[in-house]
Amino acid sequence: MIDTWRLIDMRIEDAYTQMAIDEAIAFARNRGETPNTIRLYRWKPSAVSVGYFQSLENEVDIEECRRQGVDVIRRITGGGAVFHDYEGEITYSLVAPDSDPKIPTDIIESYQIICGCIIDGLKELGVDSEFKPVNDIVADGKKISGNAQTRRYGVVLQHGTVLVDCDAKKIFSILKVSGVKISDKAIKSAEERLTNVRKYLGRNVSFEDARAALIKGFERGFNIRLKPGKLTPYEEGLVDEYRKRYKSREWVYQR
Amino acid sequence: MRIEYKVPGGKLVAAETAVELGLIKKVKISGDFFMYPEATIIDLEEAITGTCVEDLESTIIDFFESRTTQLIGVSPNDFIHVIRLSLASAP
Repeated sequence: MIDTWRLIDMRIEDAYTQMAIDEAIAFARNRGETPNTIRLYRWKPSAVSVGYFQSLENEVDIEECRRQGVDVIRRITGGGAVFHDYEGEITYSLVAPDSDPKIPTDIIESYQIICGCIIDGLKELGVDSEFKPVNDIVADGKKISGNAQTRRYGVVLQHGTVLVDCDAKKIFSILKVSGVKISDKAIKSAEERLTNVRKYLGRNVSFEDARAALIKGFERGFNIRLKPGKLTPYEEGLVDEYRKRYKSREWVYQR
Repeated sequence: MRIEYKVPGGKLVAAETAVELGLIKKVKISGDFFMYPEATIIDLEEAITGTCVEDLESTIIDFFESRTTQLIGVSPNDFIHVIRLSLASAP
């Protein structure tokens, strides 16, 4: 029998709400309050997220974010800084118990399995990509997706970005390229390490098509059926609580 | 001073330290590595703070031997290395 997981489909929220939702689902899943869940979402306004361990001021031009109206948030997951451009990317998240037979116990293996769904979804769009350990997916040797996972509350929470379009100038006006002052040359070399669905295919791919392809990727990869659903009232309550923490200075600027 | 170190084949790790009379008064570790559970980083910084500079290596080795922590893209030796670089660059 095919398992049914919940799909929370393309909810558009700000950074603090998005990160609070991911954590709320993880917490609720452990309490048995909610099913295994895949989310697809976009960030409005656009935002930059840094990894749990990253130094905010060394990774992000905070002043420039303020100028451009870009939110700044710290994730509960490790890994690197990501610019979540409302016009340029889809984020996914997955929550399942860490005991789920579909999720390998080994963390790197589980990255590979979950990223396999994204790779399959990209293939559906015509993009040939591959997993690059630890946590990247590359096409033509360039990064098209970055992923980060945590294990807490007895569950696996993995979220990641799939680049649909990319304004490299904008990205690198906001992210600091390690120790180097942003010059045209630095932007060019950083730009050369990134690709995206539209650039790879050389045509306009809609968010709708990208979304549908990612859903297929998850359904095939895990042999599941995704049933559209909503957050439970219990989860919505947690979101309100967690959102305050994600928005607090103490959390965002802790490192 | 904050020093960054790119682990060969791994992630970026950085350390910022302050020393007083041979004691590590402050250490802040950052980077794009993964550590499970994540909050272990706070315990690690606490374990290092207040130790003699000479005890840095044994403190970090003991810390990771005494608990189950999974590191990805960084190793205990990389933490030792980058913290030493930071200590060496102290004014």
